[in-house]
Amino acid sequence: MTTIRELRVLPPLAIGRLGAATEPMDNYTAETDPDQPLAPRRLRPAPTLRVDPATGAITGADTPERLRFTDGHGKVRPVAPFLEVWALTDDDVLRPLTVDLLEANDLTPDDVQWRVRVGNHKIQRRTYDDDDRIDADTEWFSDHTAHVLMGLCANFLDDKFLPLGHARYVKPTPEFPGIRLRFTPAGGHVYGSAYTDRPTDPDPNVVDFLYDATRGKWRGHADQPGDPRLTIPAQIYAGDDGPDGSWVSRGYLDDECDGLVHVKLEVLGRELSAFGRIGAGPPAYAPDSVPIRTVADELDQALFGPRATDRDGLEHARAVAEEVLRRATETVRLMNTEVMNGNTVDGRVDAASTMVRQDTADTGRLYEPIMAPSLVDAGAVLALHQHVLAALRSGTAPWFADVLRDHDEVGDLTAKGRRKMPALMRGADGRSLALTRRQVDLVRLAARQAIFRQAGDETRGPR
Amino acid sequence: MSDDRIDPLNLTAQLNHTAAGNPPSTLPESAISNAYPGLEFDIRTIWRRLLVGIELHEADNYVVDAQPEHQGLIGRRLISVGDHDVIGPVVGPTRPGAGSAPLTSAGNPDGVMMLEWSNSLADVLADHVGRTVPCLFTADAAPNPVGKPAQLPDPRFQVVELEVRPLFARSAATGERLAVIAEDVAGPGELTSGLCSPWQNDYRECACYYWAASRPDYVNVEDTGAGTTTGNHWFAKDREPREYVLDNRDDSRLVSYDDLFRDWQGELRFIVGGDDAPEHLEADPEGR
Repeated sequence: MTTIRELRVLPPLAIGRLGAATEPMDNYTAETDPDQPLAPRRLRPAPTLRVDPATGAITGADTPERLRFTDGHGKVRPVAPFLEVWALTDDDVLRPLTVDLLEANDLTPDDVQWRVRVGNHKIQRRTYDDDDRIDADTEWFSDHTAHVLMGLCANFLDDKFLPLGHARYVKPTPEFPGIRLRFTPAGGHVYGSAYTDRPTDPDPNVVDFLYDATRGKWRGHADQPGDPRLTIPAQIYAGDDGPDGSWVSRGYLDDECDGLVHVKLEVLGRELSAFGRIGAGPPAYAPDSVPIRTVADELDQALFGPRATDRDGLEHARAVAEEVLRRATETVRLMNTEVMNGNTVDGRVDAASTMVRQDTADTGRLYEPIMAPSLVDAGAVLALHQHVLAALRSGTAPWFADVLRDHDEVGDLTAKGRRKMPALMRGADGRSLALTRRQVDLVRLAARQAIFRQAGDETRGPR
Repeated sequence: MSDDRIDPLNLTAQLNHTAAGNPPSTLPESAISNAYPGLEFDIRTIWRRLLVGIELHEADNYVVDAQPEHQGLIGRRLISVGDHDVIGPVVGPTRPGAGSAPLTSAGNPDGVMMLEWSNSLADVLADHVGRTVPCLFTADAAPNPVGKPAQLPDPRFQVVELEVRPLFARSAATGERLAVIAEDVAGPGELTSGLCSPWQNDYRECACYYWAASRPDYVNVEDTGAGTTTGNHWFAKDREPREYVLDNRDDSRLVSYDDLFRDWQGELRFIVGGDDAPEHLEADPEGR
């Protein structure tokens, strides 16, 4: 018998994406072309699990002929991720938890219990009022119905809740015997705040009034200048100009959320439990592109440290370098680099919110474009990235290591400092973006060692 | 299910595991982390409780809360952890032709800035989890940025030993790290708490395109034949003429705040290969 020692929920962080269409987004892959590594990733339809709304069982895994991100009637198809339960067994193997594995441990799918807890704490983060927290908790369940994630809040109007989507324990079948849960995010609606002690004007921007604006402070809230606890950036909520330059909240809220998916199972008298995390965010509107620095990079650095190690082979470093360049190209492809460089465009100086504007506004730095204005047309910048790739691949790009911005150089607003890569973009500290230190170290490893690259290098082991 | 075996110690494989049926947009790799504040998550949040006993601002070296034994640290600024500074200088020119100098102001007399936690605390997390580490704080409350003293001790600063909390959960069976962010690092709702409310507002408010791979800016781009390009602003309601309308919240050619609140799903277009996805070019059955 293969005894279950531990459970794990995979992926450990799953992202749902909002949309009000009835049918969730189909599955697909995003593939790179080895012959044109900086070309757009090719999206290909992939086997898509269809869940029967009546039974909660998977009825098939067909591959659609073509991809559609909307339903053709003005609604976006939500991205509804599956979270699988995996089991660490007594032979030190991590394998999917299935009906067979449960049976081998004298258990059935009914013995698996789930609980989903999500929240939307955006309002509380601004007002500091714990009664503004919106939380949903399914409590434990083991059935296969859709459990609505009812976001409750002490400052909501009577009998109102914020729908944050639903969670469903997918019913295992002989064809699809795995133990999994599906999180379907909400529709992406905007909700409002109404008074209970006076009339509230209708508002076509909101689908419903949920928040009690008489009891709570969200409608009419204004971030107070000088309060060091404010979000950074501050005043990022729907509002209107108020007295003394204030920004007064309209009391809007959305149906984004994040939280935890718990699973538990009693095996041989021991309760095993695990959890994964979920979130619901906006659609990925350029699904064939990847941001240059991602949450995966953050977690990778947090897991393995800021430096390349002996476990990172040179080939891995090269793959990271090429992926960074690919992502940079994808961003450049979708960015008006002339505007973002701070060029004068159509006679307008300071034509948009750029790092040029932000540097001047935040620090008093001289206002001037980052690169020479004549060099930053999108076509020219794309060509430059192609040249860098060619140099990296041919082993003639050791200089590339020096043009990357280090994390402690983000405050270097000299002309040279601002031209480091990635350029024209904003980082989490408000100044020019730096990659994670681990990304930088791996790219430098690839760039500096590429010059020594020899035929047959591919088989060399870790550094 | 998808792949039938994973090395239990291979955390990368677990973190990036693609569950059967899940498209790439469900993975952490699809979520931006130049988080100011972010789109899917404000991932800066996971660092707030790294030092046991205090809670840091997710995007500033400011102590927002503390356990009773460290109440005195509330309102102070963290300057360094161990040998690692969490602030850095801000330098640059203020006049054409002038050299660079510290960029100071009344609100930032030392000309310094906080360095994002993910990078500035990476060594601390790698080397000190479960152990205490000397943390240098200002001795008094400091609502504005403060620079590091030239030498220590300095009566304006205080060293406090704090334990470093793990960011990731641990296996009950093996004691090894897991690839999931620990439960006590962020509760439900905390990873999105710093994002705009509602998020639709940020798509219009920011008017900046640091996130072009998630929220495009310049689309349907074509060569003009003169060595330059032209294309549409993603927010352009009409794609003809193919010209870039400079961002302006009052320009009726662009999607407005109210448009987004009411019908973002109908107004925004998916972009594939740099162009509007084919489905947006079809005749709308409802004549939208």
